[in-house]
Amino acid sequence: MLPILVQNVVYHHINNSLLEKKKKFIEHLNQEEINDFIENPDDSTETFSEFSTLHNEFLVLSHAPIKPRHKNSTFSNDYRKIEGEENEYRILEHHFVYGGQGYKLEIGSSLSEVNDLTFVIRFFILIVFVVILLITFLADTFYIEYLLKPFYKIIDTKIRRVNEPETFDHTPIKAASRDFRELDFVLNQMMDRIAEVFKKEKQFISNVSHELLTPIALLKNKLENLLQNESLDDNAFDKIAGSLKTLDMLKKIINNLLLISRIDNNQYEANEEINLKEIVSDLQEDLQDRMDDREIHFINKIENSFVFLGNKTLIHILIYNLVTNAIKYNKPEGNIIIEDGFVGEHYFIKVKDSGIGMDESQLEKIFSRFARISSDQEGQGLGLAIAQSVAAFHHIEIKVESVINEGTTFTLWFQKAN
Amino acid sequence: MNILIVEDNRELAVEVYDFLCNAGYICKIAHTCADALEEFNSNDYDAMLLDLGLPDGDGFEVLQTVRKTKSKMAVIVLTARGELDDRINGLHLGADDYLTKPFALTELSARLFAVIRRIHGFTLNNLTIHGFVLQLQDYKVSCNEQPINLTKKEFDIFQYLVLNKNRVITRLQLTEHIWGDILEVNSDSNFIDVHVRNLRKKLDKHAPIDWFETVRNVGYRINE
Repeated sequence: MLPILVQNVVYHHINNSLLEKKKKFIEHLNQEEINDFIENPDDSTETFSEFSTLHNEFLVLSHAPIKPRHKNSTFSNDYRKIEGEENEYRILEHHFVYGGQGYKLEIGSSLSEVNDLTFVIRFFILIVFVVILLITFLADTFYIEYLLKPFYKIIDTKIRRVNEPETFDHTPIKAASRDFRELDFVLNQMMDRIAEVFKKEKQFISNVSHELLTPIALLKNKLENLLQNESLDDNAFDKIAGSLKTLDMLKKIINNLLLISRIDNNQYEANEEINLKEIVSDLQEDLQDRMDDREIHFINKIENSFVFLGNKTLIHILIYNLVTNAIKYNKPEGNIIIEDGFVGEHYFIKVKDSGIGMDESQLEKIFSRFARISSDQEGQGLGLAIAQSVAAFHHIEIKVESVINEGTTFTLWFQKAN
Repeated sequence: MNILIVEDNRELAVEVYDFLCNAGYICKIAHTCADALEEFNSNDYDAMLLDLGLPDGDGFEVLQTVRKTKSKMAVIVLTARGELDDRINGLHLGADDYLTKPFALTELSARLFAVIRRIHGFTLNNLTIHGFVLQLQDYKVSCNEQPINLTKKEFDIFQYLVLNKNRVITRLQLTEHIWGDILEVNSDSNFIDVHVRNLRKKLDKHAPIDWFETVRNVGYRINE
């Protein structure tokens, strides 16, 4: 684009100077001069030529037949050999009639010099461009950084560091531009709305627990009292006992769902010092009966006393759920191995069972609510969903590996100890 | 023993009332905070069962008012999980214990027994049943002065059944009492049987225990 533009400007300039020369030549033209130019008027090929010494210009006058309606002046680029030297010229061709005789006037201007010049101009423009680009880039980098400072501050303090709406910082961010003050204001507004929703959800959870669990309590107590009735026949007795079992299941499902939503709603504090070694040995005691029942061996290989901050109740539930899962899906007389260690600075704890194992498709859905590994097993499949929620709450990563008929290993990866 | 039941759900209050009256307590029901405080001020109660969600206010307000007086009345808070931010919260405000709804009535009676025993300065230390003596302070059982070696769990089961004598205690209730509120749905509760079997074996060596019944496939009962 640019080279063409430069060329056009140059050509235009040359054309103008050529026309100027032509005009001067024509003005001073008289027969005498023509005769001077053309020594032998009969020979139409005879020409008059005038060259500048550097061969950068030439002027040729020659006889030519009169061509009516022919455009008087045309411009063209052509190679000419002038005194044994071939050069490219910009040539003005002009036809005119003088004293009844047609003439052709050609005025040329060498392009070699012009070409040199356009090259220099192009090169110069290129350098100017590069310099401008560099300046713009640097200016942008620094200026935009300055301009966007409030933006990054907003992202950092108002969005990235906020885990709970309650802890949101409402102090306005200082910003020179109105847009960022606006953004900050809108973010504050949005956070207020989110906080409102959180509050409502908390309220809802509290309402659900009260409104659902009270009727369950009523039913449970009624059935318990009914069970004491001496006049009950065996059939009625069994049915009441069965209803109590179902009611217990219902209670646990509600409690489990409430637990998940309370964790996801950040309603737990995470400021207790937790010693995993202690938790595991407590659990072993709690669950010994169930393991004895199925003759499962519990092998505690914990070597480190890893202590971290979190919620003790929840971590207890997390490990409990992994271990009961390992009991439930184990083979009779199987093993449960718990071991720990460090990879780099990351602490891990593994719960390994020698159970039935899972295939890929089962592994995919084990953490979703109400999924169960095999259809003949009991359980409402909330245990691992809860484990997942508790882990996420504590920024712990859960990894599962499983081999069919060999067992499943759950690994909890903790963040770097600070 | 006088018990004040503060519960806005009338039917539930009646069930608790019936159960406790059967167990030998003298009970009164209040449905609102105002009723509860009025009853508290006009009569002497040994214990109060306090629901938190009352129509005219929060049960905690009643608890705070009660604790400002010199009354030694035991308070057991009855609450649905999720209403309390933390279990400890209730205990901080002066509740002696609390139970999450839905609770087993037999569990209520065991807790009630424990808090009343505590506020009376542990004057009651023994429970007896058919010649067996349960020493509550050191978890020991003896028969005709002969000590019987029970594990902690066996003792707890025995005590729970004795405290709720003449009632069928389901496996589920027993499991929940021993292992607490297990969150796991459909947890297999058969392993409680192992402990009951061992307990009966140990008791049976000292005296016949035909009063220690297995009730169908559902639970157990100790008859007086």
